[in-house]
Amino acid sequence: MKFPSISSYKGWRTRILLLLAVVGPGFITASVDNDAGGIFTYSLAGAQFGYSLLWTMIPITVALVVVQEMAARMGAVTGKGLSDLIREEFGFRLTFLVMVALVITNFGNVVAEFAGVASSLELFGASRYIVVPASAFIVWVMVVHGTYDSIEKIFLAASVFYVCYIVAGLLAHPDWKAAAVATISRPPAAGIRSYSYVYMVVALVGTTIAPWMQFYLQASVVEKGITVRQYRASRWDVILGCIFTDVVAWFIIVACAATLYASGQHTIDNAANAAEALRPLAGEYAYLLFAAGLFNASLFAASILPISTAYAVCEGLGFESGLDKKFHEAPVFYWLYTLLIVAGAGVLLIPRLPLVYVSVLSQVANGVVLPFVLIFMLLLTNDRELMGAHVNSRRFNVVAWTTVTVMIALTLVMIVRH
Amino acid sequence: MSLVALSELLGATVRDATGTVRGRVRELAVAPQDHPTRIAFLIIKTPGGERALPAGDLKSSGSTVRTVTESSQWGAHTPSDGVLLLKRDLLDQQIIDVHGRKVVRVNDVELESTPVNGHVLLNVVAVDVGARGAIRRLSKGVVPAFTLRLLLEKIPPRVIPWQFVDLLETDPARRVKLKIAYEGLAKLHPADIADIVEDLPAAEREAVFETIDEGVAAETLEELDPDVKVSVVESLDKDRAADIVQEMDPDAAADLLGDLAEEHSGEILREMHPEERREVTQLLEFGQHTAAGRMTTEFIAVPESGVVDDAIEALKTFEGGREALATIYLTGPSRRLSGAVPLVKIAISSPAIELSQLSEPYIACAPDTPQDEVAALFDKYNLITLAVVDEEGRLAGIITADDVITMLRHQD
Repeated sequence: MKFPSISSYKGWRTRILLLLAVVGPGFITASVDNDAGGIFTYSLAGAQFGYSLLWTMIPITVALVVVQEMAARMGAVTGKGLSDLIREEFGFRLTFLVMVALVITNFGNVVAEFAGVASSLELFGASRYIVVPASAFIVWVMVVHGTYDSIEKIFLAASVFYVCYIVAGLLAHPDWKAAAVATISRPPAAGIRSYSYVYMVVALVGTTIAPWMQFYLQASVVEKGITVRQYRASRWDVILGCIFTDVVAWFIIVACAATLYASGQHTIDNAANAAEALRPLAGEYAYLLFAAGLFNASLFAASILPISTAYAVCEGLGFESGLDKKFHEAPVFYWLYTLLIVAGAGVLLIPRLPLVYVSVLSQVANGVVLPFVLIFMLLLTNDRELMGAHVNSRRFNVVAWTTVTVMIALTLVMIVRH
Repeated sequence: MSLVALSELLGATVRDATGTVRGRVRELAVAPQDHPTRIAFLIIKTPGGERALPAGDLKSSGSTVRTVTESSQWGAHTPSDGVLLLKRDLLDQQIIDVHGRKVVRVNDVELESTPVNGHVLLNVVAVDVGARGAIRRLSKGVVPAFTLRLLLEKIPPRVIPWQFVDLLETDPARRVKLKIAYEGLAKLHPADIADIVEDLPAAEREAVFETIDEGVAAETLEELDPDVKVSVVESLDKDRAADIVQEMDPDAAADLLGDLAEEHSGEILREMHPEERREVTQLLEFGQHTAAGRMTTEFIAVPESGVVDDAIEALKTFEGGREALATIYLTGPSRRLSGAVPLVKIAISSPAIELSQLSEPYIACAPDTPQDEVAALFDKYNLITLAVVDEEGRLAGIITADDVITMLRHQD
């Protein structure tokens, strides 16, 4: 029997949508990974310790790929978000604890995003007392009125700005050989004994493998309707996104090591400071790119973080959620969303707030909470009843459990050395 | 008669007829094939393994469960697919609140315990989806039971009576055993069902579409968001998909098949009845964004020589969508369109009046008319239906106003 060819009726729109549907989540998550908290942390790591933290980048990348792949796979196989699964498999009380931890750490991240907005625009001479409330308002309205969906593509396109870190790194004329050796060498023994070094390692892991990203990635995989069948393509999207993230991170560390650390400036008070230090060596061009990249990254993440937190919490605890609902239909959802933005931006109005310190601290909190979220993810991805044939491979389990153990150990070291 | 919460019973100590503690409650089971709400047995965790305690042995229930039998009489528990386990299958899971028309998560389950001849009967009466159940579970074991009860009484309950609850089960075999048929859901308006379905994970969506009546499924499918629609149809097996698709309006079916991957739409077409298949393939041959792509081939056409009674007969046997009934078309020799009679005129005229006397000037367009022009015609002439005629002037199909509204809403 012969039927007319149907593919010719398929509009180009459908085709592009299909393409975006698989290219999307992993790459978007990777892009927001290098948010303000990330940029501050990587910059400080380079400024404070030169190349001596570069060894972390390979293990972090491996762990990031494994963790993100687990989240995406869970989303594709179960069609449910991470907080839904935690609730269904571990009950109300544990879910509640996870959600409290998530809200606290994510609040810290929101503060970091607005700190990024403030310091990037301060480079252009704008006062933070004006730009922070203004951008908080813009983010709130944009997301609630659904304009975010169309703006997302602009943010994503603007993520090309991340290449500017690579450019900045190249223009800073680093010692390539030393950087390469530092990347593949073992961790220096003296470092592990120092509190500030361990603190920075935890921050690096926490900013790269942030707990909130796992909730966000899994939710986007579910929302885009990616199923097991389309998952193969998605997997590559996730893996490439992770690698891109960490290449950018590597260049930020190298750039700061080659300039700030080399010239003896081992602290960073704000991102302007970091950019300032790049100017004499790399010229006006790299400096401007740095500022623009930071602004885009901060606003991008600030648009995603509060809303994804509100979704995760409400879905886990069973509150009504969704932007298609009216305020009185989903009060907890809207209040949580609004409070995260208002309070997060409000913190920035505290005079003389040490922006970089607060941002890096929020990433350390990510790192401390990460192993606990990971344990839940590991238990879920190894549940055969839930994942069927798609349970974790042995290698994945080894990497993920190692990450859990190392992060708990580092946290303990941090507490002991403090 | 008193209410007891599932979360209070779970973990409660169990004392047998001798008064000795024998174990703790681990699960409560309902056997829907015997009774839809009654607890059939409790699973007790004892030092000697899991025991099934028949609910008829219960003497009292609460923070301590007492039984009329001795623990030696309780048989070992053997897992079975055919029972609903309240903790595993209900607590913390999503259900459909049929009355509130949405998907909600269960915080607790309310049971009613009724004393009958020296023992108690437990029945599921409602699920708790509000703060009361949440706080009870958070503070259990932390706040003393008595204080907790006082505190909880102050919180207004948000419960869904059991008869308005539709459970979600993705395993077809278990669905049959547990008698889950989405009866409550299927009674809702298809547009409401569509809203609920859009809130569900993919496997649960599939479960709903596998279970509900084909006609309801078809109408619901038409109301779904285009992306969800495609993923639902692709997840169904092709026989079931074909059963549903052939119940849809041909124009909606053609739109849907046009959005599917070619191998899927081919398979579905092959499974459809020849007549429906022919209509849909005809529509598919036209571009999706033209008048022909938007039209339905299910309309009422009566010979122009007929009388009102003939039109009424045609109405009675018509099987297509109700929106196509607004106008009765008149055709001349070789099915050429010659007139149109609004339904209202049929309703108010006596049966013997000739249709040609009632005929009004009509508006028609060619099959390849772009959809923007179609919308413009509806706007200009305030149409409810628009005839689509081919080169020879034969009536090929009609476009109805609801299609135009859908089209305009999805244009951007």
